[in-house]
Amino acid sequence: MIMRFVYQIDKEGEQLENYTKYQLKSSDELTSLLADKDNLFIIACNKCFKEFETVDEPDCAEFEKLAAEQGKTITGSARVDFLCNKTQTEKKLQDMIPEGTENVFVISCGLGIQTVADMAGTPVFAASNSLNYTGHHGMALTKKSCDACAQCYLNITGGICPIVDCSKSLVNGQCGGAKNGKCEVDSNKDCAWEKIYRRLEKQGRLEEFLNQPVQLRDYSKVNFKVINDYVKSVRESRFEGYYGGIHPSERKEFTEHLPLERFPDPEVVVIPLSMHAGAPANPVVQVGDTVMVGQKIGEAAAFISSPVHSSVSGTVIAIESRKHATRGECMSVVIRSDGKNTLHESVQPHANPENLTPDEIVEIVREAGIVGMGGAGFPTSVKLKPAKPVDTILLNGCECEPLLTADHRVLLEYADDVIYGLKAMLKTVGAQKGIIVIEDNKQDAIELMQEKTAQCSDIDVVVAKTKYPQGAEKMLIKRVMGRQVPRGGLPADVGCVVSNISTTKAIADAILKGMPLIERVVTVTGEKLKKPGNYIVKIGTNTQDLIDYCGGVTGDDITIKAGGPMMGFVVPDANVPIMKGSNGIIAVDTDHTAEQPCIKCGRCMDVCPMELTPLYFAKYADEENWQGMKDKNVMDCLECRCCEHICSSKIPLVTKIKAGKNAVRGMK
Amino acid sequence: MLITQLKDKETLVSLAEGKKVFIVNCHGCKEVHFPEKEALEFQKELSASGSLTGVITTDYICNPDNMKLRLQKHISEIEAADAVLVLSCGVGVQTVAEYLEEKKVCAACDTYPLPGFQGVTALEYDCDQCGECYLNLTGGICPITACSKSLVNGQCGGSKNGKCEVDSEMECGWERIYRRLKQLGRLDALKCPTQVRNFATDKDVSQ
Repeated sequence: MIMRFVYQIDKEGEQLENYTKYQLKSSDELTSLLADKDNLFIIACNKCFKEFETVDEPDCAEFEKLAAEQGKTITGSARVDFLCNKTQTEKKLQDMIPEGTENVFVISCGLGIQTVADMAGTPVFAASNSLNYTGHHGMALTKKSCDACAQCYLNITGGICPIVDCSKSLVNGQCGGAKNGKCEVDSNKDCAWEKIYRRLEKQGRLEEFLNQPVQLRDYSKVNFKVINDYVKSVRESRFEGYYGGIHPSERKEFTEHLPLERFPDPEVVVIPLSMHAGAPANPVVQVGDTVMVGQKIGEAAAFISSPVHSSVSGTVIAIESRKHATRGECMSVVIRSDGKNTLHESVQPHANPENLTPDEIVEIVREAGIVGMGGAGFPTSVKLKPAKPVDTILLNGCECEPLLTADHRVLLEYADDVIYGLKAMLKTVGAQKGIIVIEDNKQDAIELMQEKTAQCSDIDVVVAKTKYPQGAEKMLIKRVMGRQVPRGGLPADVGCVVSNISTTKAIADAILKGMPLIERVVTVTGEKLKKPGNYIVKIGTNTQDLIDYCGGVTGDDITIKAGGPMMGFVVPDANVPIMKGSNGIIAVDTDHTAEQPCIKCGRCMDVCPMELTPLYFAKYADEENWQGMKDKNVMDCLECRCCEHICSSKIPLVTKIKAGKNAVRGMK
Repeated sequence: MLITQLKDKETLVSLAEGKKVFIVNCHGCKEVHFPEKEALEFQKELSASGSLTGVITTDYICNPDNMKLRLQKHISEIEAADAVLVLSCGVGVQTVAEYLEEKKVCAACDTYPLPGFQGVTALEYDCDQCGECYLNLTGGICPITACSKSLVNGQCGGSKNGKCEVDSEMECGWERIYRRLKQLGRLDALKCPTQVRNFATDKDVSQ
């Protein structure tokens, strides 16, 4: 007897079949299987494609009971998610099976059983049978509606499938056996061909339909070997370098070929005193003061903090709380430009840049207000004084975010500055090697950097396969160096420092020109923006002005994000200033979706580069089970949004994860 | 798990010829596999000829509730089109067809079945969901998928140097099973009586 549960997925009564992937073998079979075996360890898969209500499935307990009744010794049992996930199961299995175990029993579909059998040194037995459920693909599994016949008939039949909906899978019209519109095989079922006829009649397509020649069904269409090879190659290339990750549509063609353009000087700039991780800067100017380009207007307030500088020359007209893209509101210095861009006296090239000591370089970087320009805004001067010896500096030229091309253009147009900045960093931290990592979708940048660094024995260019989130520090280090940053650790723990391309160029500017960080390259793009481009923009420029300059947006139902589509954050009001970490402003289509129950498809776990289990974060956040989230290592999450991107139920996973992280921080 | 392939050029052209079309692309399961590049190329051609009224590129269009929300937003573009072309698996096409009942909704892809690739995107085709697991007798190597002939009672005798006679690049599944059982000291499992395979699907079995 096969058990299937049906439950309501929503108020409209759409039903999701709780598709059991396996069932325990009959107790007779299990009893005879157990007859000559003892000292059992039991592994049960928690199943996939099902409602995610209970964590544990009943099968394991049922089997344990049966074995106990036979007087068997059970050395232990484990319930595992997605047993067929080889990478993760291998790690879990390492210390799982206790000494003294003679036989391992697995309750799972055939994939899970074979995964365990391939890895365990002990005999492995199946306590369950897989079920046959061909045709239940798609995410919803509401019903079987496509048999994957490899020759879609839907064009002829008005979008109703004759293979599935007709009991006899007839492809050339009704059998003639229907009575009152009901199928003769199953009287509860509507005759599919009557449904097809009625729909086509409604669309006025009967003529076209009735004149269609007979189409034979070709049962030989599918070649497993081809599919096998295909799937394997796709998976292997996705796992290259590190587990998980995704490849969202790049859409970089809007701007990757467009040279940098200087954005016209704004009349007024609003410079937030907090554009970095750590304490906001303290203002050192007053309303009415005249300021110059590069003049310090805010002083670092702590060790983890950063000064800020004026990006124009003019008059301070206000120091007040203004709208901020990520913090809601923030103290900001508002300056009206005099349009002259007079340089401040402090902006002077450093004499003898070659003779600067590491400490002097750190001081220059600190004073120039340089922070990580990839978005996180960690003060670079702090990074340049690592607590542990560093042998390698990785320059992150991946720009794995779709749409963005700011770093790509900086690499092409300021190659020498980037290399200079890298050399300065090598000298500062005493590293032996600098590696510029570029993804293979930026061939021109790869060639240019290879040519420019051909003579530098301490600088290499590494080409990485395009994959998101390659630019995340931990992924980059794993991909390039094969080193694993420990849980809760920093790159320096494995002898690395990772720096962003624009940040590195800013270091060169600070040393060579004495120019603090007052402008940056911003990609303004998206399919809903009229004239995309790459602009050199002064910090404090209004985002809305930037969008208007690019022709504005098309349509009214669009989403503006600061940053890329993956890690960028929604900007509900574009009247916010461009900041040190603003690498992009994008205008994209608003996606209208509503959160639905988790169906345990396992894809979030499959793409998580940190090898976490995002589905549990959603479940536990809803239950406010913060301890559970902590136990599942929520603090390791990078918030790269791969899980949310791939989620078939559109669960706002990152929001839930952030809530969990806050709660866990509060627990201490 | 599934693979979709774009229909051949001729069919695609005939679907769109002389018509205004609206396109829905589904990237939900794109890793396995949506023909993204080919689809883009086809849409560029359509766009150049001015016969495109709009495009949605999205994911999991088989989720009816979310698909409704998304289609509603583009309804005027859809109304302006003579036909809606859906690039997805058959489930997706039917979801859209059901919502746009009055509109001609066409499938631009064929869907290929992948039984055996269930679970979370498995690397290999190594479980055929036969419904009567043989793994206990074979040391955890599946004779249905590891043997070209899906023999359940031992080797056919046709293998040469450990390679299958059907596919010379494939290892003989029964030699693998023998080695595994030997390694585990379970060669006596081969003495088990013959198990006849029941080809009925679970649906039949449950009835």
